[in-house]
Amino acid sequence: MDGDVVLVIVVATALVFDFTNGFHDTANVVATSISTHALSPRVAVGMAALLNFAGAFISIQVAATIASDVVDAGAITPTVIFAGLVGAISWNLITWYFGLPSSSSHALIGGVVGAVIAAVGTAAVDGEGILGKVLIPAVLAPIVAFIIGAIAIIIAYRICGRLRPGPVTRGFRLGQIFTGGMLALAHGTNDAQKTMGVITLALIANGNLPSTGFDVPTWVIVTSASAIALGTYTGGWRIIRTMGTRIIKMDSAQGFSAQGAGAAVILASSHFGYPLSTTQVIAGGVMGSGAGKRISAVRWGVAGNIVVAWFLTLPASAAIGAACYGFVSIFGDGASGPVILSGLAIFLGLTLFAQRIRRGQPVPQV
Amino acid sequence: MTPAALIGTVAATLIDGEALFDTAVASLAAGVFVALTGSLAIYGFATAAEMQRVGRDVAAVGAGALAVVASLAFMGALGVGLYLIISG
Repeated sequence: MDGDVVLVIVVATALVFDFTNGFHDTANVVATSISTHALSPRVAVGMAALLNFAGAFISIQVAATIASDVVDAGAITPTVIFAGLVGAISWNLITWYFGLPSSSSHALIGGVVGAVIAAVGTAAVDGEGILGKVLIPAVLAPIVAFIIGAIAIIIAYRICGRLRPGPVTRGFRLGQIFTGGMLALAHGTNDAQKTMGVITLALIANGNLPSTGFDVPTWVIVTSASAIALGTYTGGWRIIRTMGTRIIKMDSAQGFSAQGAGAAVILASSHFGYPLSTTQVIAGGVMGSGAGKRISAVRWGVAGNIVVAWFLTLPASAAIGAACYGFVSIFGDGASGPVILSGLAIFLGLTLFAQRIRRGQPVPQV
Repeated sequence: MTPAALIGTVAATLIDGEALFDTAVASLAAGVFVALTGSLAIYGFATAAEMQRVGRDVAAVGAGALAVVASLAFMGALGVGLYLIISG
């Protein structure tokens, strides 16, 4: 009975993480299209939501290995997954509040690593795995995208720079719709899988699915796709503003170059089995398309804050995950701990939401 | 062992050099191809409209042909991207 209660809580928490993943990462897909007026904000997030939903159905290779390369798989229990998810959700919300685009995948890995350390100690953590799978790609992703974004904008300006601006702007805006759509589809394919993986892992741990030769249940696919699409449609406007207007003042050619560079890097990296963070790739592409025009066009202070957030993601979400596991374990191995922590989180969320409504704060506009 | 050599050895152990090199080269090629074909398509359409406006029909047809070819190449690149997403 306790196991079923924990399972239900883990599934619900995983879907909440999926939702935050959607609205946190919406910016990666739509910020450039919105800031260059290629699409209106609502149309952009609506299109991204639909394509994220569709993307979730395209590939269902279960990403149960999301944390297995960095921690001992035997140390992962439903309670560890729960604490890790709370750590990831918390970090996603903190970075969203400050308008900082950070990787939801890294937050999830950090949360699980922190919970595992709190549960069984550092011996269950693979340091080489963290360095090779998280830290080194975190350095390489923005650099590769930066270089390609810079080259792409130089090409675009060289070819179209002397033409009348009207048709050129319309052309690049049209191109942005295609490249943005590609990014949204790739994002849905990659990121909804994480939630499917987490839920499937919990089902296996609880004995609802065999550990080998299983199919991902349809309800897992549908709920994961719906949660990420709903989150995407909600729109993380604070991060959209950062990505679309605060790093560089973007024109349509730069938006097209950043999105094209981002799509190229993400698809190539997935194809060659060297997955890179979507967030870091797009942010790198945006910075590169700004620097390709003029180095001083990039607001390096904002860019620096974003880079700091990237490197804080793993330790911060790990610390929160560890604290959550510590709190939950006070109440023993049963369902009491997860139930109390979930109740507290829901209460805190509702209080903040009610305060926001009472103050009459409008939805931030880009 | 010098610090630089140590860093090199550690990096070589941790970084999948072949996958990284393939990713970087393919990303660069795809990114440049998309930017080039997209920009050429826009250049072609804008120039064709301008040439037609000033009555230079032959030049307009040439620019239009460039626009169509570049657009097809651009859409082809998107098609490859879509295939990569679907094939997982």
